[in-house]
Amino acid sequence: MVILKIAGIFSFILLFFGLFVFGPVYDRIPVQAGVFVCVVAWSTLRFSLRETASLIKFCLPFLFTLMIFGIAFQLIRLQGREDWIADTLIKCLIFPSSLIFLKILLTYITYLDILRLPVPMKRRIDLITIKSAFGKGGAMLNRFLWYLDTYPGIFSGTRARKLLIRYACLVIALYLYLYEEIEDSNRLLRNRYHHLLGGRNEEH
Amino acid sequence: MKRSTWNMNIQRGTYPVEDRGLRFELAADLSPGVGTSCVWIRGENGLGKTTFLERVVIARLKADGIDYLYVGQDIRTQIYTLRAMLSVRGHHVFGTDEKELFRLWIGQSPTARVLILDEFDKYFQDYRFVFDWSRAFIQTYIVVSHAGHQRMFPSEDRLAVHPVLFTASGYDGGVKRVRILLEQPWSF
Repeated sequence: MVILKIAGIFSFILLFFGLFVFGPVYDRIPVQAGVFVCVVAWSTLRFSLRETASLIKFCLPFLFTLMIFGIAFQLIRLQGREDWIADTLIKCLIFPSSLIFLKILLTYITYLDILRLPVPMKRRIDLITIKSAFGKGGAMLNRFLWYLDTYPGIFSGTRARKLLIRYACLVIALYLYLYEEIEDSNRLLRNRYHHLLGGRNEEH
Repeated sequence: MKRSTWNMNIQRGTYPVEDRGLRFELAADLSPGVGTSCVWIRGENGLGKTTFLERVVIARLKADGIDYLYVGQDIRTQIYTLRAMLSVRGHHVFGTDEKELFRLWIGQSPTARVLILDEFDKYFQDYRFVFDWSRAFIQTYIVVSHAGHQRMFPSEDRLAVHPVLFTASGYDGGVKRVRILLEQPWSF
């Protein structure tokens, strides 16, 4: 049953990417805008408006960078193309849509689902660790941003530079957090499993 | 190091923080003056001391354009941002202990005038090192501590201490009212 559920979720993800990201409706801006609105609404219902807004906010510097490159490519007519801005707009819709969509879908895979997977316990512990770390990482984003806002005197330069440095710091902080969190949680889970089950059925 | 003086002044009045279900009632102006001083905040857990710092005090400092240093209660979370920020500025901070991180951070912030420590004594029993590294430029120390502020300041430094007490004063339509009392300042 759990295999069916997880297979269903991944099929849905593949379908989404097959249709909207790499597929036939990739270059239809109204469709992409519609998908974006639907995904945002779904995320608001599934999580909260605040969490959804925070996720979109997280995407903004990447979208900003995309736009800069899109405009630059358009100006120099890279590869003879004149559709760089339109293409960039599509990517600016697809990127947050895909990210939010993936986040929503993956939350439907529960810890119990992972425990019921017919794979060795070591693999299940790895999957539980990854799910736990990324779940916590998402929740940490706001707090990291808040702390970074309390270091205003540290960053100098133009507003755009400050913004980029702030986001660079956010990505590094998140990476450090995930790295440590994954290592600590994995060690804790293995330790508990080892001591509670005495290492029995190590591989099942 | 010569520093400019600035007078922190959070005026008496009501400060609602609706999304946290809190309403602060500041009984008198919180204005520790231009000399080096310590605002020592205490009160039971759950009265919103951290919220007051983050949503009232820091908001005020930002509005006044005053540089500050804030060490939050969730220091383990903050450490990740400190490492990230210092590494972006070219410091080798991986494998560096927390005390060294604070030294680097404080050293990078000579324009700061306020240093806020929210229950820092939970992590460092004796944290006079913070005072030693910052005394040249910090004018106002705001310390939340259940244990006292003496762990921070060497006895030979006669700082003006402004004790502030948070007390619950009931509920008003589901909102917790917190009265903030300013006690008699003293030096030690």
